[in-house]
Amino acid sequence: MLDVQGLHKVYEGSGRRTEAVRDLTFSVAAGELVCLVGPSGCGKTTLLKCVGGLLAPTAGEVRLAGRPVDGPPPGMAFVFQEYGRSLFPWMRVGQNVELPLKQKRLSRQRRRALVADALESVGLADAAGAYPWQLSGGMQQRVAIARALAYEPEVLLMDEPFAAVDAQTRAELEDLVRRLWRERGITILFVTHDIDEAVYLGERVLVLSASPTVVREQLKVDLPDQRDQLHTRVNPRFAELRTRVYEQVQAAKRGR
Amino acid sequence: MGVPPARRTSGMWGKALLRLVFALALPAVLVALWWAASAGSTNVYWPPLRTVFGVFPDVWTGERLRGDVLPSVLRLAAGYTAAAVAGVALGTVIGSWRRVRALCEPVLEFLRAVPPPVLVPVIMLFAGIGDTMKIAVIASGCVWPVLLNTVEGVRAVDPVLAETARSYGITGVARLRDVVLRSASPQIFAGLRQALSIGIILMVISEMFAAGNGLGFTIVQFQRGFAIPDMWTGILLLGLLGFLLSVLFGLAERRVLGWYHGLRASGRRSP
Repeated sequence: MLDVQGLHKVYEGSGRRTEAVRDLTFSVAAGELVCLVGPSGCGKTTLLKCVGGLLAPTAGEVRLAGRPVDGPPPGMAFVFQEYGRSLFPWMRVGQNVELPLKQKRLSRQRRRALVADALESVGLADAAGAYPWQLSGGMQQRVAIARALAYEPEVLLMDEPFAAVDAQTRAELEDLVRRLWRERGITILFVTHDIDEAVYLGERVLVLSASPTVVREQLKVDLPDQRDQLHTRVNPRFAELRTRVYEQVQAAKRGR
Repeated sequence: MGVPPARRTSGMWGKALLRLVFALALPAVLVALWWAASAGSTNVYWPPLRTVFGVFPDVWTGERLRGDVLPSVLRLAAGYTAAAVAGVALGTVIGSWRRVRALCEPVLEFLRAVPPPVLVPVIMLFAGIGDTMKIAVIASGCVWPVLLNTVEGVRAVDPVLAETARSYGITGVARLRDVVLRSASPQIFAGLRQALSIGIILMVISEMFAAGNGLGFTIVQFQRGFAIPDMWTGILLLGLLGFLLSVLFGLAERRVLGWYHGLRASGRRSP
């Protein structure tokens, strides 16, 4: 579904040349949930923006369903970390979810159905008339997820979406993502710096090196499909995988 | 759900009444002071307020409202609207492109620094002394605050919002209408408010220079004819007009910027 080949990104500005991403190659199969984890400041956001067509890579290529990505493709939806700044404060929740659909030239009836369905599945069916800033942080991020769902993307890109919410809300949102992924069979690329989150959510975890970024290791998460906060996190296999990823991230931080 | 319930209606009327009392208290005191201080005045230029109030209905008859107030208001409306449209349009263009901004900014700062009344004689040379001149004067003074505030507002669009819009393919007209202008609207309204007071001043001044009707013209006529109480009624009427326009503006702003005030209030509750 998503192929990243030899992705390389260098920022050039005022005589300084910063190599953010050195050489990344990986792919995400249709319907897969892949987590990217790496030390802080390892170019995760740069990478995701390149994948999403928001940044042009210096070299290499990103392909979505075989087509090269050279701008934000209609088959991708983004969920940003800063939910407070990624929802339009002058629009009500329903309008926020609907706006991208208008660009897709869907009929009003179809748009309404998609909006209602998306809000329903994130548990905000009765918040359509509220403004985003009237909602809690966790609910705002649910709105952002609903907006992405309604867009019916082939691939959903999530950039540390739960980094700014409290631990309990985060656990709820993680379960929400798992449930939506299972129910809808969407392909998700999930970037995080939280090792537990990566293992808990992913079918596969890619550990990234420190910047300039390469893929250090790929790990298949062979936990049962049905996961929950209570049992999965005390599963011995979860602990093993977590330890493995933790070691890798620590090693990445030390630059080895 | 965390959606706050609608404000309770009980006590709302009480609050509204209290607000009204607060709003009217100081004007009432000032009028009373003026009334008392001028009551025994024999100074021709400073007539008792009672006299001013007395002649008010005689001066501002329906005919005069139609013949002098209406043309003034129409000129103001035309000039102000032209300035608002031009200011927002140019401001959006200048604010959107860094290069254009670098090119235009020094000139804009210079033009803004020129006091608009100075332009009246100049514009008279080009536009004559008719309505066109007055509208041009009003527009040329009002355009700057709108333009400069729009530039600032358009520049300040949150990068995360801009990126969100881009990732969802919101481009072109939709981006302008639903993202850029909405995001800049608080600043645009700040500019429009400044422009409104400038517009009223220029409306009067342009009519004082050369006109056959209008509020400014009438006030000068009264003054030249030593109809001093009549002149004072004109000044009062101008004040009332300005007040009324400001109230109307406030209502429009509340409607368009409701989201902004709510957002700011929610930010204060939980920073």
